[in-house]
Order: sequence, then structure tokens, then C-alpha cells
Amino acid sequence: MASIQTNVLPKSYTLPSVANPSIAGPSSSRLLPVGPAYISHLRLTIHHDHSFEAHDAHLEKERQKLEELQNSAANGDDDLGVGDEPESEELLALDPKEWKRHDYYAVLGLSHLRYKANAEQIKIAHRKKVLKHHPDKKASSTAPQSTSSLLTGVNLNTNDDAFFKCIAKAHEVLTNPEKRRQYDSVDHELMDAQEDDPIPSTFAKANKSLSDAEFFKIFTPIFERESRFSKKQPMPMLGDITASKEHVEGFYDSWYNFDSWRSFEWLDKEINEGSDNRDDKRYTEKKNKSERARRKKEDIARLRLLVDLTLSFDPRIKRIKQQEKEAREAKKAAKSAPASGTATPQKSKAQEEEEKRKKEEEEKIAKADAKKAKAAAANAAKKARRAARTVEDGATA
Amino acid sequence: MASNTQNGSADPSTEISNLPDVVGINFGNSFASIADGQAECIANEDGERQIACALSFFGEEMYIGSPAKAQLVKNSKNTIVGFRNLLGKKFSEIPQSQSTASAPIIQHPEIPDEPAYKVEILQPAPAPLPKSTTGTPAASSAPTPRSEPIPAERVLTVSEVTTIFLKSLLQSAEDFLGKRVQGAVITVPSVFTDAQKHALEKAAKDAGIIVYQLLEEPAAVAAVTTADAWSSMLPADRTQLIVDVGSSSLSLSLLALREGLAHIIASTSSTSTGGDAIDSKLITFFANEFTKKTKTPLTVCSETPPSTGDARAEAKLRLAIEHTKRTISASPNAATCSVESLKDGVDFTGNINRMRFDMLVRPIYDSVARAIVDLLAEAKVDPHQVDEIVYVGGTTCLPGLDEHIGFAGGFSEVINTPFSMGTVIGGGIGDPTTVLARGCAVQAALIASLSSEGEDEELRKAFEHGSDLVDVKTTSKTLGLVFPDNSGNETGGTWIPLVLAETTLPARRTATFDIGLSEESKRFAFELWEVSEGIRVEKISPAKVSPSDAEDEEEEEEEEIKHKTIIKETLLGAAEAEAVLGIKVKGPSKDAGKWTTTVEATLIVAASGSVDVSVKEIGKDGVVATVKVSA
Repeated sequence: MASIQTNVLPKSYTLPSVANPSIAGPSSSRLLPVGPAYISHLRLTIHHDHSFEAHDAHLEKERQKLEELQNSAANGDDDLGVGDEPESEELLALDPKEWKRHDYYAVLGLSHLRYKANAEQIKIAHRKKVLKHHPDKKASSTAPQSTSSLLTGVNLNTNDDAFFKCIAKAHEVLTNPEKRRQYDSVDHELMDAQEDDPIPSTFAKANKSLSDAEFFKIFTPIFERESRFSKKQPMPMLGDITASKEHVEGFYDSWYNFDSWRSFEWLDKEINEGSDNRDDKRYTEKKNKSERARRKKEDIARLRLLVDLTLSFDPRIKRIKQQEKEAREAKKAAKSAPASGTATPQKSKAQEEEEKRKKEEEEKIAKADAKKAKAAAANAAKKARRAARTVEDGATA
Repeated sequence: MASNTQNGSADPSTEISNLPDVVGINFGNSFASIADGQAECIANEDGERQIACALSFFGEEMYIGSPAKAQLVKNSKNTIVGFRNLLGKKFSEIPQSQSTASAPIIQHPEIPDEPAYKVEILQPAPAPLPKSTTGTPAASSAPTPRSEPIPAERVLTVSEVTTIFLKSLLQSAEDFLGKRVQGAVITVPSVFTDAQKHALEKAAKDAGIIVYQLLEEPAAVAAVTTADAWSSMLPADRTQLIVDVGSSSLSLSLLALREGLAHIIASTSSTSTGGDAIDSKLITFFANEFTKKTKTPLTVCSETPPSTGDARAEAKLRLAIEHTKRTISASPNAATCSVESLKDGVDFTGNINRMRFDMLVRPIYDSVARAIVDLLAEAKVDPHQVDEIVYVGGTTCLPGLDEHIGFAGGFSEVINTPFSMGTVIGGGIGDPTTVLARGCAVQAALIASLSSEGEDEELRKAFEHGSDLVDVKTTSKTLGLVFPDNSGNETGGTWIPLVLAETTLPARRTATFDIGLSEESKRFAFELWEVSEGIRVEKISPAKVSPSDAEDEEEEEEEEIKHKTIIKETLLGAAEAEAVLGIKVKGPSKDAGKWTTTVEATLIVAASGSVDVSVKEIGKDGVVATVKVSA
């Protein structure tokens, strides 16, 4: 019920006639620029052209946004979007003794972020997991489940801190920058992905041509994945078919000079600490070292091969070459054009010839490219081998 | 790792608070205050919420705030006060005649036409040379002591002084918040010129403060009074008088608040009245009492420089009465003033009660009230049209001042003041000493909430000073609806005001109310009128007062009673409609049996001046009646 109430309209009332109505001229004044009302006024004036309908729509949108925000923030303070991943049975059954083979990101519920997870996110994720899986909590929550009268008071879940240990280990590795670097180098997911990488032989069997879409579909994710290992960040990405010449050249330039921080200490064979045999230890150490060097070398060669492969299939290289040539020819034509003022049929013939020649040349270039790439790969491999040898020599010396 | 964690780390824990890390700074000429993002006034490390704007150099030390003010007694020539008002002024613009008790203002030796302060300081002597490893062995293994500090002179520009002071405020705020301050809103007096504003902005920038906005003092008040916490019991459209009694100035502003948008109708400011005058009165009073009680002559507040003993006694009293004034403001009982060894080793304890105090400072109250009356007369606003008074400054905490203004200003008895709302005491929202800083903090938090990209970027720009977006059009007359009836009153029906005069365009107002209908005809009609609001004065002579009016019987003279009146000026339009959702009121109430329907009236005045009214029955399928008036 509203507080104001009007009286009944008299029956005799007739609408008065209005002559030339308009409100008294507005006066000018200066607003004090304060308060939310002033912001509303500004929005109304600047963004919504004095229209209340548009402003109302905007406010409604803002309100909805705020509501969403509040809903998302409802589960406590800002969790940076981590720690809410479902935990599979398999994950919970991990054996802490097998810690080297665990997926630490999955353990902390960060598998959607992996190497991109920052320190803050790891911290929060760890805290959440600890709260959830602390043995103290577990004992109390699982104990009443033993319904059998014979087993009352006996905690059946003897191994209930296994996953907690895994969490602790994962936290230890991921919060130590050195250990995390080593772990990230041989991340399971990464290794799996690398196995699926194309190798030259796969294309050799096929008809050795890829459509543009296929090319980008295959190679774009590879470079996105590999860029994480670069000491120089950010690395240029493959781009798309319309990428400029500068971009393409910059891309290959950067990737041929790739400086990787990847290392393979994680795959070392464990040195038997308990053994008293010094020689035994030294032998394992040496083995590990050479193994690391070998893996590193392989990794460098692998990447180089990938880049070579990409270069050989890159449709943009062809395009750029073509453009360059056209530009050159146009220049030439421009030079000779004023001299020759020949008829059109002749010209069309000449064009046909030119196209033919171009095609041939393209094929030649592609061939030469492939050859060059191969040579480069061989060169790189040789270089790497030499480097490895010198390292080994140095080590043995 | 282990060594790091052993004793814990000094890093602040991450979950300190979600407070917006912004501050509001009220930078007055005599006192400053700071407030955090939640609009709570912060005390500095000395525990003061009102931080004296003073800077004092003594030897190698620099004092800021109240310790510096205390130095005015013994070390006045190295103490800098009242520097804010000189910001951005040229040396030639500053009147030289006034002799101050503080460090003298001189022409800067290098920069032309730049005012500066010269203070004597002690510079630390250069560090002794390190012992050489070769050469003669030292006589003792103890390090060579540093030499005595060297007396030196330091010349500080007004801007440098301001920077040092603001830096200390920022430091206090950051110590309190425990994190870096991202931005601040600072008050400026309305009388500041653009050059002065720029000078303040620059000084703040040098102090490492990111200034979101320089807010004029009335605007800072409006930021608080338009907030929900303040105005829940007051109408959103009201006329507000801001009485700002600083320690050395009086400024008055009459504001039109229209649903959160505020603009100044009239304002005035003078430096002849202020809290310092009250101090002088009180000091004189206590000095006289001291002389009377102890037979020790004591002359204070005289033109001729008194003896050093008198000067010191005056300074001691000046510090002591601060407490007395606060006690007077807070409690109705007598307040004491105690000074140890006021003069010649004689202690002093005196009392003053509220009534005595009010009598004593009546001349100052009078001058404030006179300034208010003058302002209202100049703005042609009747005191009865003022809905609310807001007080700013420590002096306005005195209940006597509030009473006097209400009485001498001729305001209506039901006027809202922080005292009538009970928000002064106990650090309430109406606390006059902190309202400016809190207003700035509210504003800073608001600006901080705007994101810095996209559309909001444009809005942020609008807060920089010199933005022409503050220039707006306002209505000059009140608009409202008249629902005609047979009551025969001056408006010829029920008057529902919608858009008041002085409302910023474009404006939209909505009102919901019941319309009376008759059973046979559900017809209703309304007229859109432009009206002017006035005050009708009705004189009642005491003889005619009926005996039932017991309160007025004591009054001897003729009494004026003021009523708000509505004078219809222009008919802008009219419309009628048949209600379809009329209901009959049931139950035992006196309205039982009447027919009513609830409607919602929306009035939009566009920026061009065109008016659009729609009256809609609330509920499904209700009728809508509209009136449009072109510009």
C-alpha cells in the first residue's frame, strides 16, 4: 500500500485545454563530481546518449555480471581457479613409493594448467588438497565405516596417508624451481604428445603434400608445446596462412636458434646411496651424465628435424618466393614496358610461357629446399655429435 | 630453505584484507586527516586522527604533525605552519605584512618569485675516513667517532614542504594498511585557483601519491552524505547546508542534492572567523581565572609581544584547552583545564561549563550564524527550505554552535543536523572532524572500482579536474502531478511532486501511490504542472493562542509560523483514463468501502527539456495514461 492516496475525481471534472506548453528554461550549473550517482550520470551522458532505456539495459547487464561474480566467488576466497578437479580412483590409489612416475600436476589438481601454473596457484592447490586429504581428517571420516562388530575401533584404512604423501611430494617438487624444471622437462603429457609428432618418414610414404589447413592443424600445436622450453620468451608462433614475410622469417630464425632449458636429470638412474662402493657410484654417475647429454642431443636434433619438416611443408614459403619473384618481374616489366607496346595475343602467349616456367621453378625450389633442409639437419646432427664428443672428452679428461 | 623458515619470514601474509588499497586525504591548512578505503579515519603513529599541518626542524631532527606544532613555543623560527594556502602562489602574491609566529616566508634565493622557508638545521658531519689497512696503526681499536654535526641552513619551497608532509601522511596510511597505497583523493578548498590545484597535484606526485581526483571540500562532504549509510532516513532530493568551520576559516556551501547528484547553489568563505578565535577566548578566560586565583599576572593573546613567561604560558594553555574543548563537545558536564606550572611554577586547574562556554564564544557563534543568514539571503533561499545542515571541522562538534545556528539562522525546528540524527558522538558517520577524509576515501574507492580500460577509461578521465562534463543543465522549476478533487485547497487537488527544481537533466523520477476511485466511475485524471515553491509566513499573536497550546503560552512576542506552499505556474498537460484494476478496500479501517487502484507515475525530463509522463496501473493489463511535452 503506497503512503500517498489521492481523492476521488469529481464527476464534473473536464480536462483543461493546454496552450503551448513547455517547461521553464533550464538553468546551468556545475555538478560536484562525486558519488556513484555521478558515474551513472556520466554513463548516461557519454555512453548512452541520455537514453534511460539504454542505461537501464546497461545496469541490468552489470547486475548480472556482478551476480555471476558473486556466485563464482561463493566458495570462499579467490582460489585462482584451481583445486577443483575431480580425483579419479586411480589417482587416489597412487603408491607414494613410486613417486618418480607420478603426475604431480594431477595430484595437486592442476592438470589443466600444468607448466603454466604459477607459484600462487600451486600454493592454493596444495592447501586445498591438504585440507581434503589430511590423515587426521581421513581417519575420523572413514573410521565409522567399519560396521562389522568384530572390527570396531580398528582402522581398516591403514594406508590412508598414501595420497597425502603423494601430495607432499608433488608440492615439494613443484615448489622447488630446479626440481620443477627437471620435472617439466619430462612431463608425462608432453612425452606422450611428442610421440605423436610427425616424422619425415610418415610423409615420405604419403603423397608428400599437405593442404594448408592440414599443415597448420599438425604443426601449430607442436610449436605451441615446444615453446615452453625456450629460454627466450615469448617465442614466435607458427601463425596462419596470411602471415607476413617478416613473421615467417622471424619464426624460422628463432626456431633454428632455439635455446632450450630442457634437461633430463629426472630420468637419471638412481645412485645406490646405501652402497659403500665408490666406484659403483661413480660409474652410475658417469652413466647418468652421458645419458643426459645423449638425451639432450637427441632433443635438439628432434626439434631441428621438426623445424626442417615444417619448413619443407610450409605453404607460405612458396607464396613468399612467388611474391618475390613477381615483384622482381614486375620491376623488370616496368623497366621494359615503355619500350614494348606489343599486342595482346602475343602477350597472352608470353604469359602462358611464363606461368609454365614459374611452375617448373617452384618445383625446383621446393626440391632445393628439401635438400637444403636435409643438409642442414645432417649438419646440425654432426655439430651436435661433435659437441657431445667434446663434452664427453672433457668429462673423461 | 631451512634457514628461511626457521624463524618465520617477514613477508606479510597474503590474506591481510580485501580493503581497496586507496586512501582519502583531507589536507586542510591547519589540520589534515586520512581515511582508508572503508571510509574509516586512520590515526597516525602518534595516535592522532587530526594531524596538525606543521613541520619543524630541530637540530638533526624533523618533526611532523603535533610534535611540530608543539615546537612553535620554543623553536618557532624553524617551524613551518599554514603552508597549504601558499601552494602555487607567487612570492609577490603573498601579503608580507602579516607577522607570523612561525618560520618567515622569504624569496627563494635561486628561483625567481618563489616563496620559500628558511630553517636552521644541523647537518650530520661527513663520516670519518675508514681506517686504512696500511700506515700507522690506530691508537685504539674503537672506530673513530663521528664529528659534531655542522649547523647549516636549509631552504624549502612551499611545494617541498607539502611533499614532505604528504609523504608522512602516506607513510602513516601505508603503515596502517600494511600495503602500498594505489591511489588517493585529496581535498582542495573551493577557493583554490587552477595553478594552486596543479601545484598540489605536483607536490602529491612528488610524494609518491597517485592522485585520482582533487575533490573540493563540499564535494567531499557530498560523497559522504549521498551514500546510503548517511541518507537512509532522509529524502534523496534535499537541500543541504554545509557549515565548515576550520581553525582559521569559515566556508559555507548550499548544496542541491538530487538523488545523489549534487551541485552548489551558493557558497561563501571567509578567513575572519574560525576555531582559533574560540581558542583565544578560552585562553583569555582561563588566564584571567589564573590571575584571579593565584594573583600571578598573566597576559595572553595581546598585540604587544608578552614576556617569554607569558608566551610560554599561552602556548601551554593552547595545548591544554584542546582537551577542554573536546570535553565540552562530548559531555554536558563542566570541563576542566589543567596545566602544570603555568607561570612562575604555579599550577592551574580551572573549570568551565557549557553555558559559560557558550556565552564566552557567543560572538563567534553569532558571526557564523550571520554568515549563514547572509548566504541564504543572497541565494534567495528561505531557511525553511533547507532540509539538512552538515557540519565540518572540529569546532562544529560544539552542540552550542548547532543550537545557535538553528535558532539564529531561522531554520525549521525539524531540520536534520548530525546532532538531531545523533551521529556526531562516538565517531558516528556525522563526525565533523573526519567527514572530509571519509568522503575522499569513499570517492577513492569508487574511482578505484572503475576498471582502467574500455568505457571506464573515459569515466576516469572525467574525474580529472578541468573536465567539462560537470557543466550540466538543471530544471529551474519543480514539476509534478495534480490529481484534481473537490478539496478546494490551493493546488486544486492532490499534489505529487516528481522532479524538483535544480534537478540535473536528464532526470527520471518515479512515484507509486494509490488513486481514489468511485464505484460507478473508475475514471481518474491528472494534470502536469510546473510550480514554484514558496514559504508562506503566518503570524500568530499570542493573545489568540488557544489555551490548549501550552507550549506557546510563555512566548510574549508575536510568533511567525512558516508553511511551505506550492504556487501553480504553468499547466503543461493533462490526461485521463479508466482504471481497470480498481479494488474495494475491505476490513475495519476507516478507508473501508472505498475503491482504489495503485499506480506508478514516471516522469522523464530529457536533456533537451522535453517532458514525458506516464501513469501506469501496477499489475497486469493496467491502463497507461501518458502526457508528452516537447522542449
